[in-house]
Amino acid sequence: MSARRAEPVRDRKMLTRRMGSAEAWRDTKVGMWAWLLQRVAAIGLVAVIAAHLKNPFARPVQAALLALVLFHGLLGVRAILLDFGLPARWHRLLFLLALLVGVAAFAAIWRWRWY
Amino acid sequence: MVLKVFRWSPGSRERLQKYWVKALQGMTVLDALVELQRNSDATLAFRYACRVGMCGSCAMVVNGRERWACRTLLSNLDRGPVTVRPLYQFPLIRDLVVDMAPIKNKMLEMKAVFVPGRRAMDGDGFALIGSRTRERRAIDAAIECIGCGMCVSACTMVSHDPRFPGPAALNRVFTLQRDSRDGAHADRSQAVLAEDVLTRCHGQANCTAVCPMEISPTDSILALRRRAVLRLFGIGPR
Repeated sequence: MSARRAEPVRDRKMLTRRMGSAEAWRDTKVGMWAWLLQRVAAIGLVAVIAAHLKNPFARPVQAALLALVLFHGLLGVRAILLDFGLPARWHRLLFLLALLVGVAAFAAIWRWRWY
Repeated sequence: MVLKVFRWSPGSRERLQKYWVKALQGMTVLDALVELQRNSDATLAFRYACRVGMCGSCAMVVNGRERWACRTLLSNLDRGPVTVRPLYQFPLIRDLVVDMAPIKNKMLEMKAVFVPGRRAMDGDGFALIGSRTRERRAIDAAIECIGCGMCVSACTMVSHDPRFPGPAALNRVFTLQRDSRDGAHADRSQAVLAEDVLTRCHGQANCTAVCPMEISPTDSILALRRRAVLRLFGIGPR
C-alpha cells in the first residue's frame, strides 16, 4: 500500500529561511554548524588531496590535509556516536570535543615529524 | 522599542511594517502585538489562545528564532528592532497567521495515526501502559508534542526537501511504533523507509534546540533509524 500523499503546498505562499540574510545566520545552531563544517571540510579535502598527489612533500598542503582529515573525521565520529544512541542533548558537547581533540591531535602529530 | 512585523495578505505585497511600542516591565512579544492591534493597527493578524505558554498557537519567528510569542519577554531580546515573522515552511494565511495543515497531512502520509491492535483491549477495557514501565518511559517526553510547528519551521531539511515529513510527524511515528497496543507497526515501517524520510534527517538538531516542550525529535528519528537498520539484518522489532 503506498503512502498517502498530501496536497502540495509549494504553490502557496510560504516563507523560508533566506540564507543570504544576516537574520537567518544569527540563530544558526551548533548542530547545523557541525553539519555544515563537516561538508565544507569534505569539499576542501577533495581539493587538498589533488594538490597533495601533485606534490606530496609540500608542507602547507600536508598541514591542510592533516587538519581537514582530523576535522572531517572527528565530526563523522560525532555523527556515528549520535546515530548509535548517545542522547542528542550531548551533540553540542560532542562538537566541542571533536574540535578540541582535533586541535590536540593536530599539534601532537605535527610536532612528532615522522620523516 | 521598535517592532518590525511581517505583513502580507493575499493579493498584496509582503513587507516588514515598523511599529513603536512602549516596552513595559514583563511585557512579552504577544503582549506587544495585542497592544498594537488594539491601539495602532486593527488590521494586524496573528494567532494566540492560552497566552500562558501551554497551547503553542502563538508560535512565530522572533529575531530569526522560532519562539512562542507569549513566552518571549521583550526585555530578553536585543534593544534593536525586533523582527517578527510567521513560522517558516507553512503556507501563509495572512500576516503572522499560517496554515498548520501540513503537520496533520504529513502525519497522515506517515500513517502516524493510532490503529488499535490485538493488545489494545484487555478484560477491563482499553489496555493501559503503566507510567513506570520501560515502554512508557521510552516515549514519555515524545508524547508531549502539541504540534506548535516550531520544529518544522526550524528544520533545514524540510525547506530542502518538501517530501521530508519533518520532525513533528516522525516524532509521532516514533511514539506509535513503541506503543504495544498499536496494530499498524508494519505499515508504518514501510512508510518511513521511503527515500525521503529517515535518510533525509541530517541530525542537525535544530528541531530539538527550538522545542519549547523540551522534546527531542532528533532522538526519535535516530531511534527509528536504528530500528530500521536492525530490521535490515533481520533483528529487532518493527
